[in-house]
This record gives sequence, C-alpha cells and structure tokens, in this order.
Amino acid sequence: MNPIVSQIKWMAVKIQPQQVRLTWMAISLALFVIGAGAPASGGGVGE
Amino acid sequence: MILLTVVTGGFLVSLVRAARRNWQIVVPDLPLPWLIVTASIPHLIAFNLTATNKLLSDREAAVALMISLSLLVVFAWSNRRITGFPLLGLGLALNLLVIAANGGLMPITPQAVQAILPHAAPGSWQVGQRLGYSKDIVLLLSQTRLYFLSDCLLLPSWIPYRVAFSAGDILIALGSVWTLWATGPEKKIDSK
Repeated sequence: MNPIVSQIKWMAVKIQPQQVRLTWMAISLALFVIGAGAPASGGGVGE
Repeated sequence: MILLTVVTGGFLVSLVRAARRNWQIVVPDLPLPWLIVTASIPHLIAFNLTATNKLLSDREAAVALMISLSLLVVFAWSNRRITGFPLLGLGLALNLLVIAANGGLMPITPQAVQAILPHAAPGSWQVGQRLGYSKDIVLLLSQTRLYFLSDCLLLPSWIPYRVAFSAGDILIALGSVWTLWATGPEKKIDSK
C-alpha cells in the first residue's frame, strides 16, 4: 500500500470525531470573532 | 489578533483538559455551519485581504460590514441554545448597535488612535475618515453615538500590544472561551 495513503488511513482512525468537531467549533468561533469583534490595531495606516 | 489568540488558547486548554482527565469531549452540533463561512466573506474582502480591501470605498466597506454582522446575528441566534453563544450574541449585538448608529463603521476617537498608533505618519489618518483599511472610522467624541459601546477601551500601557476594543469585544471573547470550556464530558445519570 502507498505509504502516504496508509498514513492518512492511520490518522483517520486515530483522530476522534469529537476532536474534529471541536476543531470545527474553534474555527467557527475564530471566524465569528474576526467578523464580529476584531479590535482596532490600525492596520493599513502608515507609521 | 488578540481575540484569535483568546479563541486559540481556549481551544488548546479544552484539548489539554480533556486529555489530562481522560474525558470524551462532547461538542454540540452547530446549526447552519455554512452561514459562518458565508458571513465571513464580506468581512474578509472588505478588511482582511490586502488584495481587495484597497478596492472598496468607505461606503462599500460599511455595507460589507453590515452584511457580515447581520449574517452573524442569524448564526448566533440559531446557535443560542449552545453554552456561551448567548454571550457571544450579546457582544455581537452591542457591536452591531454602535456600528449601525455611526454609519456602518465602528467609531474610534482621535485620542484612541493616538494611543494605538503613536508613531503614525502625519496625515496618515484623519477625523471623519476610515482608519486605514480597517472597520473603524475616526470620529470626535461629540460626533460619536453610543460612545461607551465603541472602540474606546485600551489595554494597560505596560502591555506592549496596542489595540482599542469595545465592550462587545469583551463579551465576544468571554463567550468564545465559555463555549470551548463547556465542551466537557456528558453528565452521567446516577442509576441508584
């Protein structure tokens, strides 16, 4: 078997579904905070 | 960046806590998951992507921000039963309120801009104009509606990271940490 494919299959078994969901929740929250509440740091202003 | 740091920290703490206590993490389903990605697109185009944020006028950027926030309101409402999301939604609502009251952009005073950009080149920002390509507009205190909800809060001077943030940002940060912290094990019913 292709070593890359076997590695991917091994990871798919090891990674728990809830960890995937937690990661997705963290990504969702990150997108949420970027859209809803990014503090002002002056990006794009010349210094 | 600071809010992303908070979310990342909450995520890592949740993973470490679950690993140390040998917990089975229980993560609720997020209704309308596609909506969070859709809501992010106008914001990313208008403010975050350097290839596009220069192309939009202040008016177009304000419209993009209002669209993004409105979609986020729907997302937050649809997830209101998940622990932490009511706090997230409240923070979002406060930010949306002050932004809507000030023409579609988050107001920031010249004093706050001076605090976060003490070495800005003269003329690089002006009252009445958007602050760079950000979501903020520089307004005098007398011009700002609902000032106490605007980006008027600053970190202590001993912290080297200079940002201005709002009361809504605080609630959003707390809500996101609470949401991640609440991903603990299922409560077992005592069979006795």
